[in-house]
Amino acid sequence: MNPEAGILQPLVVMFSAAFTGNILLAKFLGMCPFLAVSRQVKTALGLGWAVVFVLTGTSVLNWLIYWKVLVPLNLEFLRFIMFIIMIAAFVQFVEMVLERYSPVLYQKLGIFLPLITVNCAILGGSLFMVIRRYTLLNAVAFGFGSGIGWMLAILAMAGIREKLAEERIPRGLRGPGITLIIVGLMALAFIGFTGVLGG
Amino acid sequence: MKRDPERAKLEAVLRASKLVAGGFLGNDDRPLDEILADDAAALERAGRTRGEVAARMREIGARAREGIETWVPAGGAVEARMIEARGRIPCPWDHPGRYFKTIVEARRTDTGDAARWSDLSVHLIEAHGFFQGRGSPFRLEPRRLVRLLF
Amino acid sequence: MLATAAGILAVSGIAGGLAALLVLAERIIRNYGECEILINGERTLTAQGGQSLLETLSQQKIFIPSACGGRGTCAYCKLKVLDGGGPLLPTEEPYLDAAERAAGVRLSCQVKVRGPLRIEIPEHLFRVREFAATCASIRDLTHDIKEFRFALRDPARIEYTPGQYLQLFTPSYDGNEEVYRAYSMSSDPADREHVELVIRLVPGGICTTWCFEHLQEGDHVTFNGPYGDFRLSKTEAPMIFVAGGSGMAPIKCILHQMQNEGIAREATYFFGANRADELFYLDEMAAFEKALPGFRFVPVVAHPEAGGAWQGETGLVTDAARRNLPDLAGHEGYLCGSPGLIQAAVRVLTDLGMPEDKIYYDTFG
Repeated sequence: MNPEAGILQPLVVMFSAAFTGNILLAKFLGMCPFLAVSRQVKTALGLGWAVVFVLTGTSVLNWLIYWKVLVPLNLEFLRFIMFIIMIAAFVQFVEMVLERYSPVLYQKLGIFLPLITVNCAILGGSLFMVIRRYTLLNAVAFGFGSGIGWMLAILAMAGIREKLAEERIPRGLRGPGITLIIVGLMALAFIGFTGVLGG
Repeated sequence: MKRDPERAKLEAVLRASKLVAGGFLGNDDRPLDEILADDAAALERAGRTRGEVAARMREIGARAREGIETWVPAGGAVEARMIEARGRIPCPWDHPGRYFKTIVEARRTDTGDAARWSDLSVHLIEAHGFFQGRGSPFRLEPRRLVRLLF
Repeated sequence: MLATAAGILAVSGIAGGLAALLVLAERIIRNYGECEILINGERTLTAQGGQSLLETLSQQKIFIPSACGGRGTCAYCKLKVLDGGGPLLPTEEPYLDAAERAAGVRLSCQVKVRGPLRIEIPEHLFRVREFAATCASIRDLTHDIKEFRFALRDPARIEYTPGQYLQLFTPSYDGNEEVYRAYSMSSDPADREHVELVIRLVPGGICTTWCFEHLQEGDHVTFNGPYGDFRLSKTEAPMIFVAGGSGMAPIKCILHQMQNEGIAREATYFFGANRADELFYLDEMAAFEKALPGFRFVPVVAHPEAGGAWQGETGLVTDAARRNLPDLAGHEGYLCGSPGLIQAAVRVLTDLGMPEDKIYYDTFG
């Protein structure tokens, strides 16, 4: 590893998480809210920010719990269950705090939080970060980048679906059908980023 | 499938019977999206747009209003009368808009087809493509509505 | 074996710890404590925080109009929140214009009581009380209009200005939710222990259907009121009343007032119906004509039965008014009925020279 990598690496991790390794379009994680809440750009943006926030926050917490608690105790095999518990508790807590101290933010993001508690993109983010043995800084960058990538994907999708709302779509393809086809095409486009960052 | 929370809230408002008896969705247990999609397809098959339907409903309403609660001819074979109740009813979608509780009853003198709607019904069709759920007192079947209006 | 036990212990320990943290956080974060609400700078009430302002006020027997059940879609529950309301929420934004936002107007169903509040409530809403009453009689007036008479129990007396309305509470029935709906009082205001309402069945109407099909004599009801500023002016100008259907109610109430107070102003009342059998209160109107020398009742039937006995005015009530009325400069107009009727009547009255600011009507919500 060359010396500059120390500063650059988190950035590289972040960009590759957002583009080449897009958690939604390359890994196909977090599809359920993606299909359900991509009707309007406005709501997609709210959900997108909520995912960014929760992914970043849980990456940090789960990094700590994995490397500082589970590994020393030789309990790595419990990471799935621990991560899920951590994510659920974190989301609950954030929802409570938002409702009390920032009603506006609660209306904008908070209503989406229950949707993400059981979102596989969040759990997936934590698991990748562990498998790839990221440092804490890289884990934060990875969580944030993955969230941004997920948000970009859902925003693009919502934009397309807003346009499609006025179009005549064959009956059998309406709703999730046409959405899945579009996701496929978008995934093809994102694969074009492969190799750009060499990571 | 996970639901869009705003969509879920709208559906809850439509199902609730705070604004109209039985709620806007009546006993229709299809999800809102499915109701909207089915009615859009039915309207398309009937060969009319939401705008055309709403414009004709407004025209009939305007003629009926002149009659002050009496039956009057409203163009073609349609006759109509308007009854009005106290108060206004808000649109359940998230924009301001309150509609008088004016109810237009329309019937065809040739076929005997009849329907009734309110100012809000016209707005719901025009702006939201919503013909209300089956079993709601103000449900309008797109196919039958088109046959009545034109 | 040991590893399994350690695993179970670790998971339970961490999960239990997190749960305890959450419970603690809920105790601290969700607890708003007692909040003081200062109303109109004069009255303070104390309530447990955490609920919407609308709910909190209604528990304190202050009734703010609301039709949608606090879901933030009807926008009836607007109030001025001067302090402590927090920032405007996205759910309120569509319903408030720039002037309202600048004045601090909020939807009280969306504002949560989370600390001391300073609010303004219009004085007339402040005077609104809740009444418990018993349904004393139900009388058919026409095929779709009934008269409901209620005997007050608690409080036993009501003070109101003739022309005002009240909001009748409809309990939940047939899967419909409970609602309030507004009806004008038609009774003699001198009788403070009873109120009468004239209600017309609205197709699909929650409250009217309940009144027509479920409400029985002897049943207990609740309502709150009075509301509204439709009332007799304090001038001596001659008056024209125009009404149709259940629009009869406030005009009848005002006629009682004229009789009680010996108001001898000249008044002509045009009342429209579709058919002759849809006219009602004809005896009462005849009695008013006897008691009030300046009063004339003109029933108008749009479609009299062919060969029927109807001898009076025919056609639309507004056309009859146009045919029968002289120049109306210096007159006052009082209208009650559907927006269509009011629109047509305003046109006729202004055509005949009545200034628009001398025409009074209820804007139907």
